[in-house]
Amino acid sequence: MKIPWFYFASPPTFYRLAGWMAPAFFALAALLGAAGLYTGLVVAPTDAQQGEVYRIIFIHVPASWMSMFIYFVMACYGAVSLTFNTRLAAMMARALAPTGAMFTFVALWTGSFWGRPTWGTYWVWDARITSELVLLFLYFGFIALANAFEDPRRGDRAAALLALIGLVNLPIIYFSVLWWNTLHQGSSVKFTGSTMHVAMLWGMLLVALSFWMYSIGASLTRVRAIILERERRTHWVRGLAT
Amino acid sequence: MKPHEFYLWMSYGMTAVALLAEIVALRMRRARSLKRIEEERDLEAQD
Amino acid sequence: MNVAAERLPAEEPAGSFAAAFAWAFSRDVRLTIRHPGETLLVVAFFVLVASLFPLGVGAEPQLLQRIGPGVIWVCALLAAFLSLPGMFASDYADGSLEQMTLSPHPMSGWACGKIAAHWFATGLPLTVLSPLLGLQYGLSGDTLGALAAALVLGTPVLSLLGAACTALALGARGGGMLLALLALPLFVPVLVFGAGAAEAQASGLSAAPHLSILAAGLIVAAMGLPAAVCAAVRIAMD
Repeated sequence: MKIPWFYFASPPTFYRLAGWMAPAFFALAALLGAAGLYTGLVVAPTDAQQGEVYRIIFIHVPASWMSMFIYFVMACYGAVSLTFNTRLAAMMARALAPTGAMFTFVALWTGSFWGRPTWGTYWVWDARITSELVLLFLYFGFIALANAFEDPRRGDRAAALLALIGLVNLPIIYFSVLWWNTLHQGSSVKFTGSTMHVAMLWGMLLVALSFWMYSIGASLTRVRAIILERERRTHWVRGLAT
Repeated sequence: MKPHEFYLWMSYGMTAVALLAEIVALRMRRARSLKRIEEERDLEAQD
Repeated sequence: MNVAAERLPAEEPAGSFAAAFAWAFSRDVRLTIRHPGETLLVVAFFVLVASLFPLGVGAEPQLLQRIGPGVIWVCALLAAFLSLPGMFASDYADGSLEQMTLSPHPMSGWACGKIAAHWFATGLPLTVLSPLLGLQYGLSGDTLGALAAALVLGTPVLSLLGAACTALALGARGGGMLLALLALPLFVPVLVFGAGAAEAQASGLSAAPHLSILAAGLIVAAMGLPAAVCAAVRIAMD
């Protein structure tokens, strides 16, 4: 059976697909977010050491996970766009970048406000925080480079290559708590299990899933706008009811 | 409890602001794209 | 300008990495020697800025010893960064870059030669000068040694990363600021480990772990980044 791998690589086809997918993902995000916040803020008990302020974890950890995951997906789309020379993969990479940057900022911000009551300082130059800040600048660099050229295809390719070069930062962020003595604690959540209280774990996981669904919804919405901008001279866009 | 509430509010509050800002920005971007398409369509219809 | 026309071997059908490397390296070094202004400017900037810090923070010996390695590293970083646009600029402007992409020699050879020439003109003078600046900060002998070793390992990585960023930003709007946004975040790990090596030595610990990571980074960068530079130049050429 011949599989039409590139069926959805056509902008008009994907535009329609994304059109009904995005609201579905936003709805999922809202449901999972509500469940996660309920678990985290109501069900989960007070922490023995940190009291109530530990509840920032339910935003901070999912946002950090998303900041790294979105960068990885963005780089994958970049690799696909360079390998297959498709427009749409590059547009998806562009669509992901602002959402990734937003989550990176949220991770840094919530981390800062969690650090003040627990470590005594809003900011410290430990390995993980520094490399997360570098990640934020990598996102900004990606967005800036992609928009720095007259020809958008040139911007697509250059930014995709930049995303691949910056991929080396991700293992540094992830393994930094293992390689250095930092203020950050080591991972409590691994694939084999977790040392956390079950309600805290589930709160984090539900909010992480919610952020994931939100990211998909947001990037699909954004890619629809990008498709409209880039393909505005085509018949199918001109024929769209506005 | 009291001082801790400040940090919780700042964290959750900024997250809500960031999410809302992104959604608003998305709506504005879509509106801008559609407006641009309509303008170009009208321009072409004039010829 | 005529160096390219004279030296590109038209009669050989197959190319070699070594030939491309030797050609690009010797050409760029010769051009640098003919116009030493840029290199001297980089060196002068390095020395000047490194000399500004004691004036600004006060000449207290202990403070200077603490900040010395970091300051010297940041100056080396900035000086290396400032010389980046010139790497491809003139070749891009007069079309020699396009000619080099059409050459039968493997492009990575040419890219490595160019990067090596850039390091020869910027990183190497900075490394050689760093002990002198270190003395200004009152750093001890073995700290100076660790600093120089870190610089000799780290500055080629800066040249490699810088070349990739410069190639990506060829012909882009936003010029120097865009290049800074691209290159400086990628420079951060090199800075952390490079300054860390000298600081470790200064506080009595061994600099070996930091130097090992710098060396590993240099190997990885030397293996992977020339290909990225070539890809970026090809992207710039269409």
